[in-house]
Amino acid sequence: MADALPVVKGTLDVLVLKALSWGPMHGFEVTTWLEDRSGGTLDVEDSALYQAFYRLEARTLVAADWGVTDNNRRARYYRITAAGRAHLRAQTTQWLRYAETVSGILSAPVR
Amino acid sequence: MPQIRPGVRRLFDLMLRRHDIASRDVDAEIALHLELRIEQLVRQGYSRDAAKREAERRFGAIEHARPSLEQSAHERDRRMSLRDWFDSALQDLRYALRGLRREPAFAGFAIATLALGIGANAAMYGVVDRLLLRGPEHVREPERVVRFTTTVARQVAPGVTSSSAGYAAGQSMTEVTFGSAGYVLYDNLRTHARSFADIAAYVRTTPALGRGRTARSIDGGAATASFFTLLGVRPALGRFFLPDEDATGSPALVVVLGDAFWRSQFGADPSIVGTTIDLDGQPHTVVGIAPRGFTGVELSRVDVWVPMSLYSQSVTNNWPRSWNAQWLYVVGRLKDGVSRRAASEDATRTHRATYDGPPTRAMAKARVDATPIGFTEGGRESTEVSVARWLIGVTVVVLLIGCSNVANLLLTRAIRRRGEVGVRMALGAGRGRLARLFVTESLVIAALGGAASLLVAALIATLVRQSLLTHIEWTASPVSARVLLLAFGVTLVAGLIVGIAPAAHAARGSLQNAMQRGRVRLGAGALPTVLQATLTASLLIGAGLFLQSLQRARTTPLGFDSERVLVADMAWASLGDIPRDAVRARRNEVLRRALSRIQLHAKVERAAIAVGTPFGSSFGVSVYVPGYDSLPKLGGGGPYVSAVTADYFATVGTRLLRGRTFTLSEGPGTDRVSIVNETMARTLWPQQDVLTKCIRIGADTMPCARVVGIVEDARRYDLREEPSMQYYIPLGQESGFGGSVLMVRPRGSPREFSATAVRVLEDTDALVERATAWPLREQIDPLLRPWKLGATVFMLGGVLALLVAALGLYSVMSYSVAQRTHEMGVRIALGARTRTIIAMIVRQGVVMAAVGIVAGIALAMTAGGRLQALLFDTSPRDPTVIGIATVVLLAAAVAASVWPAMRAGRVDPIRALKSD
Repeated sequence: MADALPVVKGTLDVLVLKALSWGPMHGFEVTTWLEDRSGGTLDVEDSALYQAFYRLEARTLVAADWGVTDNNRRARYYRITAAGRAHLRAQTTQWLRYAETVSGILSAPVR
Repeated sequence: MPQIRPGVRRLFDLMLRRHDIASRDVDAEIALHLELRIEQLVRQGYSRDAAKREAERRFGAIEHARPSLEQSAHERDRRMSLRDWFDSALQDLRYALRGLRREPAFAGFAIATLALGIGANAAMYGVVDRLLLRGPEHVREPERVVRFTTTVARQVAPGVTSSSAGYAAGQSMTEVTFGSAGYVLYDNLRTHARSFADIAAYVRTTPALGRGRTARSIDGGAATASFFTLLGVRPALGRFFLPDEDATGSPALVVVLGDAFWRSQFGADPSIVGTTIDLDGQPHTVVGIAPRGFTGVELSRVDVWVPMSLYSQSVTNNWPRSWNAQWLYVVGRLKDGVSRRAASEDATRTHRATYDGPPTRAMAKARVDATPIGFTEGGRESTEVSVARWLIGVTVVVLLIGCSNVANLLLTRAIRRRGEVGVRMALGAGRGRLARLFVTESLVIAALGGAASLLVAALIATLVRQSLLTHIEWTASPVSARVLLLAFGVTLVAGLIVGIAPAAHAARGSLQNAMQRGRVRLGAGALPTVLQATLTASLLIGAGLFLQSLQRARTTPLGFDSERVLVADMAWASLGDIPRDAVRARRNEVLRRALSRIQLHAKVERAAIAVGTPFGSSFGVSVYVPGYDSLPKLGGGGPYVSAVTADYFATVGTRLLRGRTFTLSEGPGTDRVSIVNETMARTLWPQQDVLTKCIRIGADTMPCARVVGIVEDARRYDLREEPSMQYYIPLGQESGFGGSVLMVRPRGSPREFSATAVRVLEDTDALVERATAWPLREQIDPLLRPWKLGATVFMLGGVLALLVAALGLYSVMSYSVAQRTHEMGVRIALGARTRTIIAMIVRQGVVMAAVGIVAGIALAMTAGGRLQALLFDTSPRDPTVIGIATVVLLAAAVAASVWPAMRAGRVDPIRALKSD
């Protein structure tokens, strides 16, 4: 596996929102979701993820409630709000455009 | 466990618990995460211990991560609760606005009431700020500037009771204080006193601007060169007077213009400096322009300033050293660290040491005091300022009435909405939440009222400035920054006050029980209504007392017929270079001719020439009376002398009590005669036949002037004075003083005749360059200003309060009737007549008002003592005034109760019994 990439500042929130856009999950579920999707390439401490959760909660992009897992364990479930979805859409568009522009510049052949 | 109120303890528990709960939740989340991670790793083949280590590694150092996450969690909670609070406040705001829109009548009334109350207060604050709180503009450190007053000992005239209320309580009857002084006092103090950084003098004048027939009177001031440096004012353009220009021997013809005058008269043209303008017939060079708003140490406007020496030349001979004339005011700036008391002692010592007039005069032992410049003549606060203080009280009262009204309305409205409140509580709204809802509503009403109040304030302030206090130079706008600040503060306080009652009721959950307790149906409205009636009664009584004072002041006997007399003055054309005696002779000849022409006019009843007139100028010369080594000194001073022609007493309407008036032949060169006033007769020759007496005027060697008549006392300068000795001599026999005016008694109104009088006088001779005529009343009316001010403001306040209180009573009665529909139905069904029902309701309203009136009268009586000094010839307990105020209030109470009473009478018994 290639070296792990540190997460660019500010994008963790968007990634969490994307994860939650698939449905309500608790903290560990989101962690594994991200690990699966990125194939382990992203290097992020688990606690940073929870920081992201609390941040998003404070901004009401995400709402949290205590629930029960399949194994009858008490877990805190996070779900995305309407405001969160809108934020996700806007950020995604912006990020993709940015990435396209930057990679366009960087991949131009060296003269 | 200390005893804490349950509600407060709950609040604390909530706060602490939330903190603990959040921490526990974070722990639980971390624990679950680690547990699941360990299971995942174990599934991948790790041993239990290795899995645990790896799980913690991936999580991040637990010792740091946990507290940091806890902190984040608390931050999150904090933000979210703030957001919640904000959202619910917004919700409350929207709800309050919706509620107001649904009840526009209630909203309009409440907002208007508060707007009036807050606006009136803001306006009065602006006025009082200028009159009382801020010093005069452009005066550096006004608290270090003092005004000098002179106090001398005087005797009370025998057999005369002195009831002058104008003297400060406690001042002995044998001491008289006056504020004006002669140039000699200013000079002596300035040269020799040691407690002052500088000393100056000033006076208000009325110069004529321009020449000839088109000249007009303007507001002027004369001041020493030191005046401007003492005050620390800087000219807007040019400069103020140089010491040389104010020299006693040769004052310069210079002038400094006031800012407003410069703008209105010369269009703010800076090139006017250096050119000349005509004042009193002479060209004066403009050397500077005063800054905007500068009026010296008083507040009335000044158009032009001339050097004191220049002005003083026209006052009297030997003006630099004479002790016989007082025409200016002396002010000083205290040196650092010197108290007013020490300065007064120094000034008194200096004066007594430098006094060089006759040693027997009371002035030799006079006391000189340094008083704050806010005080006027006599060391007392001006009546206007005292009235202004009371005005603040009036506006505060109006505001209180308004607030109590609105609070009452809000409370009854809250009780009316008890159903809705019950639903909210059932849905889980806390009591604090409900209280906040009501406070939001009241703050919204207050805010809207506050915004509207600015308009009210601007209107009222403009009204007061332009109709009541026109002589003051106003520089700030009616709604200045300070006024705005006050309005904002008052609005906030008002909003909180009116919101307290409904909020408190809501918080205590007592709204539910409000209706079960039958007493509340009137209880909620009774106390505020009675309170309002009390305050309104007090205001109306105050208004009545001031109106009464105004009326009495206007008609108080002055010793002459002030509304019938026209005063005329003449400005003379130059006669070239001829000796002064010849000039005087020519002028007198023209004057006498003018008098004859005026007397012959069809519309003139009588006319006379006089030197020394009431509310004009006063003169005193030495008098020697056989049998007296030195004359008794009366409170009013004197003896004062006037030189008059034969018809004088009939012209002005001063009654002859004994003897005769002067004949046409008596004048210069004939036997010396005199006429004395009542006080003089009684003081000098009590119990004797006055008509056999005589007096020597001017010197002991003069022939004795026989007393041929006694006239009633006439006022010299004020509505109320200490009695003084006055005597009259035939015109032409005077020496040492001069300044003739014409007194005319036209058949009709003096004002209407003034234009004609001017024409007749100016046509007499080319020597008369310009004549001016004005009704004598015009010199007296300004003295009525304080009572006019008081009457107007108390009337306005009283009417306002009456309206607001009546509307409040109406709403309380309406509400009460609405709640008692069932009861009314029962009564009517049982046979009660409509008349009885109406009478019952009206009686309830009137009883509330009556209780308030009685309390208001009691209040007025206790406060009356302090009001006494402001009134004129009126007792604060005047029964007529109290009677009228009572009747007016009761009538208003009846009117306010009648409508709801009629509604009660028209209740349909069947429907009423079926409802509820």
